Amino acid sequence: MDPDKDNANPTIINPSDLPSRRGISEVKKRDDGGTGLFDHLVPAYSYLNDPFDQPLSSSDSEDETVEAIDEQEIYDLIATISDPEHPLSLGSLAVVNLPDIHIQPPTSSRSNISTVLVEITPTITHCSLATVIGLGVRVRLEQALPPRFRVDVRIKKGTHSTDEAVNKQLGDKERVAAALENGTLMGVLRRMLATCK
Amino acid sequence: MPSHLTLLSPLRPPCSTRTWLSAPHPTLPLLATASSDRTVRVYSLTSFTLLSTISGGHKRSIRTCAWKPGTKGESVLATGSFDASAGIWRKWERGSSGLVRDPDDIDGGGDYDGGEDEEDEYNFSVLLDGHDSEIKSVAWSSGGQYLATCSRDKTVWIWEELEDDNFETIAVLNEHEGDVKFVCWHPSEDLLASSSYDDTVRLYKEDLDDWTAVACLSGHEGTVWCVDFEGDKPRVGLKDGKELSEEQKKFIEERERSGPRLASSSDDMTIRIWRRRTREGQNGTSSHDRIPSILKSNSIEEDWYEEAQLPKTHDRAIYAVSWSKKSGLIVSTGSDGKILVYQERWKSPKETTESHSPGAESMDVDKLSISTATEWVIIAEVEGAHDVFEVNHVNWARRYDRGRRNDEEEVIITTGDDGEVKVWTLDHD
Repeated sequence: MDPDKDNANPTIINPSDLPSRRGISEVKKRDDGGTGLFDHLVPAYSYLNDPFDQPLSSSDSEDETVEAIDEQEIYDLIATISDPEHPLSLGSLAVVNLPDIHIQPPTSSRSNISTVLVEITPTITHCSLATVIGLGVRVRLEQALPPRFRVDVRIKKGTHSTDEAVNKQLGDKERVAAALENGTLMGVLRRMLATCK
Repeated sequence: MPSHLTLLSPLRPPCSTRTWLSAPHPTLPLLATASSDRTVRVYSLTSFTLLSTISGGHKRSIRTCAWKPGTKGESVLATGSFDASAGIWRKWERGSSGLVRDPDDIDGGGDYDGGEDEEDEYNFSVLLDGHDSEIKSVAWSSGGQYLATCSRDKTVWIWEELEDDNFETIAVLNEHEGDVKFVCWHPSEDLLASSSYDDTVRLYKEDLDDWTAVACLSGHEGTVWCVDFEGDKPRVGLKDGKELSEEQKKFIEERERSGPRLASSSDDMTIRIWRRRTREGQNGTSSHDRIPSILKSNSIEEDWYEEAQLPKTHDRAIYAVSWSKKSGLIVSTGSDGKILVYQERWKSPKETTESHSPGAESMDVDKLSISTATEWVIIAEVEGAHDVFEVNHVNWARRYDRGRRNDEEEVIITTGDDGEVKVWTLDHD
């Protein structure tokens, strides 16, 4: 990897300011030695049905109980991914942000297919690693979510100089499949995703 | 809907990982499925069971495969892989001349299933090296003389088999500006179509020993995943025999002069129908022929235009489109897991005067009267064809199983991310 980092001095968000459903103390407890993400994969969430605990970006609140997976949970799955060039999480670098995660319920009653759209914000507009970060987010979600979810990862509009080109690559199933058979790239992705496990 | 799709059978056993594409054998009741587990599975289309697993030739996913047409006494399969190579596999067909046998003679494919002796195996015979990155598609020309391969390296290669197992690269075509996703040959001419990540479709022909680009079809607003030609015989409607009006006869004649059309499916969620403008039509459009003859005569370039768009029903990328050479029906599938069957039919005279047909805005003014004589309608739809999984490929194949109703009957084959290959029948109510 390039020894000169694209952005040597990124803005870092204090962990206590990151969006979370839980109290700060609980977050600290996890940091102290909990398995973190695994907790979130346990399906028995009583609070998912709590009408008073809807995530900020939810507009179709009726569908949320049916979905059983909401934006906060998607956020929790990807916020812990490590940045490929900083020893920091994508959440703390504000590369992934809760308001930029959108879940679309099935388009018809006959369909079970939901769509997750994640818009990522590179730390600087010419970040050469935007594609790798996007790929990490897509791979993480495809591995963690049930197959009824279609995962779309895009660069947030106006935050990257070549966002259209990066979006096209990230949306290309065949390219993503081939990339996952590339040993070098998989090594990078494994390091990024290691902090999720 | 006037017709419906029924699941006839899945192929057993399925693959445990993503399957990309299935290719029916040109003359035998066999289906080859390319899989991400680096194998090709050969299934029987009479018993719907696995006959052979071809493995050991590729280091990465096998993305695509195609049977060579016109072989005698043996089956020849080309494979294309993410390892950037293409492979040629051969298998002697026992006691057969390679011609179609009566499906009833093939007792559930039972005489295939042992694999006891070497003759029952597919042998890896040639490795075609040259592409810089993943091969996405391979296709044999209708006569079997040429093999086209295409890759993420933005090129299309044409190979010619000079003698057994001796393949020569006769063309490397660099027209595309992005991954080349799919290649497909014209059903009778040596005309090749390729579709790409650069949102275009390009056509190539041989001109004085050199293969050259003859047309660029642009209009799609996303990767063009797949293209397929129409059969040689144009068809409108489901059944022949209905008396055609003079206008309709003229329309069919005009279409025969243009030759088979091309269907393309894209990430932009549209399927477009492209048609070749006839030379006569070209000259006829301008009353005063001012173009010096030296510029227009002998030109190998072809003029293709977008004739129609199929009704928009897919919600996500359309990965595959297949045009039945027998019935003229089109089937499509994609990321939304739907299978859609489209039929071209005559418009009633009243409808012809209206211009609400999909794609009307993009229609060529010169051809307006002809283009609006027919319309495409969806006649059958299945949602969640492979449960919640994406469907990567769909195509038509001859029906061989015992339930076959007539010689012309076809089935639809879908290939999905769940590793399943499914066989569907189309019933007209």
